[in-house]
Amino acid sequence: MTAAALHPPLRRRSRFGRKVRIAAGVFACLVFLFPVFWMVLSSFKEQRDIFTVPPTLFFTPTLETYVSYMQRADISRRLINTIIVAVGSGLLSIVAGAMAGYALARIRLRGAGTIGVLILLSRGVPPIALAVPMFLVARSLGVTDMHITLILAYCTFLIPYVMWLMRGFFLALPKELEESAMIDGCSRFGAFFKIIVPISMPGLLSTMIFSMILAWEELLFALVLTNRYASTIPVAIAGIAGDTVNGANWGALTAVGTITVIPVVVFALLVQKWLIQGLADGATKG
Amino acid sequence: MSTVTAAGARRARPRAWTRLSDVASRWAFMGPAAVILGAMLAYPIFYTIEISFSRFDLMTFGAVEWIGFENYAHVLDDYRFWSSMKVTLVYLVFALPLQIVLGFGIAFLINADWRGRGTVRALFIIPMVVAPVVAGGIWRMILDPLWGIMNWVIGLAGFGPLDWFGDPNLAMAAIVIIDTWRWTPFVVLIATAALLSLPRDLFEAAEIDGAGWWSMLWSITLPLLVPIIAATFVVRWLGAVKMFDIALAATYGGPGGATNVINLFIYEEAFRSLRFAESAAMAVIVLVLTMLLTGLFLFGTRKLEQRY
Repeated sequence: MTAAALHPPLRRRSRFGRKVRIAAGVFACLVFLFPVFWMVLSSFKEQRDIFTVPPTLFFTPTLETYVSYMQRADISRRLINTIIVAVGSGLLSIVAGAMAGYALARIRLRGAGTIGVLILLSRGVPPIALAVPMFLVARSLGVTDMHITLILAYCTFLIPYVMWLMRGFFLALPKELEESAMIDGCSRFGAFFKIIVPISMPGLLSTMIFSMILAWEELLFALVLTNRYASTIPVAIAGIAGDTVNGANWGALTAVGTITVIPVVVFALLVQKWLIQGLADGATKG
Repeated sequence: MSTVTAAGARRARPRAWTRLSDVASRWAFMGPAAVILGAMLAYPIFYTIEISFSRFDLMTFGAVEWIGFENYAHVLDDYRFWSSMKVTLVYLVFALPLQIVLGFGIAFLINADWRGRGTVRALFIIPMVVAPVVAGGIWRMILDPLWGIMNWVIGLAGFGPLDWFGDPNLAMAAIVIIDTWRWTPFVVLIATAALLSLPRDLFEAAEIDGAGWWSMLWSITLPLLVPIIAATFVVRWLGAVKMFDIALAATYGGPGGATNVINLFIYEEAFRSLRFAESAAMAVIVLVLTMLLTGLFLFGTRKLEQRY
């Protein structure tokens, strides 16, 4: 009341400024969403509606592209491969990474500090420096084009990520939790799995889902380590996007692109609350 | 005498045993991660280093002979290596600051207290989770010189159609636009979380002192955000030096190597030209440079945190 009386012009202007700010923010959001909207919209177009100037906004939607591409055996098999690899590497990295993160946060280990620094450094390793030897080793062992090879390869960037996020998460938990459990006769493992894991479920789940998303969209290792049998969707999309022989194959691109984006968006929106927290922690503590 | 030592030993053995099993159970937590990272991360790095110093035989498909720095000399002599390093540098210099500035700017806009804030924040996740290769593909469609919607929009504003993927500078701009589109939301989310964690009373005090919106932004918000901006920069830097998929899907390094970022170039040299030794040498150079610069940035971030 008094503040308003003291500065009436300033308050009115700031209220107007607030509206402008909000409008600008919403506009920015719409601009950023447009390419995804355009992809989804185009995926329901027939070929002749895609190639028009000016671009068509209204048309009779058709599922033609989806039907024709899902019938192609390689697309559906690659989709299944991508699911296997994303789920497999997500599960493996959350188990190994969360246990290691707990060890870094709570257990006194000789050399834990060094390990922490090494993990931090490993986040800077360019994947291309790993891809060349991985390919050569996998080839000499005869394990190229197998799901497990790709799953293990993805662990190189997922485990450090999970370790670091979960370390921060475990550090934030009160120490008394597992101490009292261990006094009551629980082993270290028992305390971890019976006490720590259940209360950390939200953090574990969101970290795992984000790991799966990272595995879902990975291209380099998939390109190098697979060729036919275990090949993933990003490899197919790279092929379609770069396919200049058949002209621009936008129908395929938009349909396959939409299929890969939808599950990820659903997952990400489900865990967005924890995701933002995790990202913020990862950025400020990592 | 002997009975005492025997009893002592009997007592000591279980104690040593429990200590051993305690150490084992401690390391068991680190075990799985250590084994996987050792086999899949440490070993390949050492193998890369070995290959980079060797002659690579395509018949046996392995390193055969130690030849010292010969591969490195070849690489440093190759003008294509330098030009793709330059391309990477240009991309980093344009994309990173653009993403940080846009990200914090938008976060500032959507941070006003209103009902839709949560929804807008949630929607900003979407571009971030679109696979980079899909992002490259969609934008290839949007920026298409003939049928793309971007040129149509530009045409409405009275500008001529632009040949986005035919002109070297425009192709570079396209890569920066695509990367910025995908990564700005990430910065927005971090910045939003950071803005929400700022102490409220400081702003209330400043408001009572009659500080305007602009001076509050300039002398309170920004200084408080400096450590987080620096940390965001380091995280984005770590992602950006690995950029590969967007360039592959959008331009495949073209036209004429104008967008051939170093990771794409090394990939091509290794898996298309089968020059594994030279690409290993390049990978080692990139690895060392990345590590040095990352260390430098982390050091700088710590320094900034101490100052503010």
